[in-house]
Amino acid sequence: MTSGALIRQARTRAGLSQVELSQRSGKDRAQIARWERDVVQPSLETLRELLRACGWDVELALVPYEPDPKRDARLRVRLGRTPQERLQGMLRERSR
Amino acid sequence: MARDVFDPYALLQALEGQRVTYIVVGALGRVLHGSDELTDGLDIVPATREENLRHLELALDELNARRTDGKRLVLDRDLSRQPVLELQTDGGELKIIREPEGTRGYDDLRRRATREPIGRGLRPAVASPDDHARMLAALDREQDRVPLQTMQRLIELEREFHRGRGLSIER
Repeated sequence: MTSGALIRQARTRAGLSQVELSQRSGKDRAQIARWERDVVQPSLETLRELLRACGWDVELALVPYEPDPKRDARLRVRLGRTPQERLQGMLRERSR
Repeated sequence: MARDVFDPYALLQALEGQRVTYIVVGALGRVLHGSDELTDGLDIVPATREENLRHLELALDELNARRTDGKRLVLDRDLSRQPVLELQTDGGELKIIREPEGTRGYDDLRRRATREPIGRGLRPAVASPDDHARMLAALDREQDRVPLQTMQRLIELEREFHRGRGLSIER
């Protein structure tokens, strides 16, 4: 999940408009819109301020992370395909 | 073992033919965004306006849709009573979801959905990758852990692809 999706989710769950979140958090409305669209990313501190202004927070904890280059390579190939090719590839795979 | 019939083109053609307003969600939506899953069915979130439900009813008739529990299908009643209406059709499984977990239904998903060309003249509206991740996260099921990680990684890879390595951090 992106920071933008998290902010949007917190805001909509709280039933707030971007203007209302702007008033609550003291952040510029246009900037909130840019964060929500993932045009730019807020700092972690700003992200938490915004979530808290919506009545939510995130629990942060370190968890082990292992890169999976094989999976990434597979997904990159699929991202290079059109939706039609992805669908037809899945249908071919399914019929094997 | 042979898999059940699944013809997403037949299902989507029937929906488009009857001018049903809907958004594709679930595994097929994720596949269209690049996820490497296999699926046997189509999941949709319809607009719940009365007129649209009439169109949907016509499409379901055309697809010979029946409830998987064998009970008679009464669309508006069943949709209002069940969060997920599971149907078997001549084109395969079709799930109709009024309000997927983590969302507020059609109007919520519509704003970020995109039309994806899939051939045969079809361009169904598909929920955004972010919304797919949001729905999986809200379901909070063990079976969705890998699809959720895949969607999250796809979102990251797509962002990297579009922006290169420079991510702007703004306060």
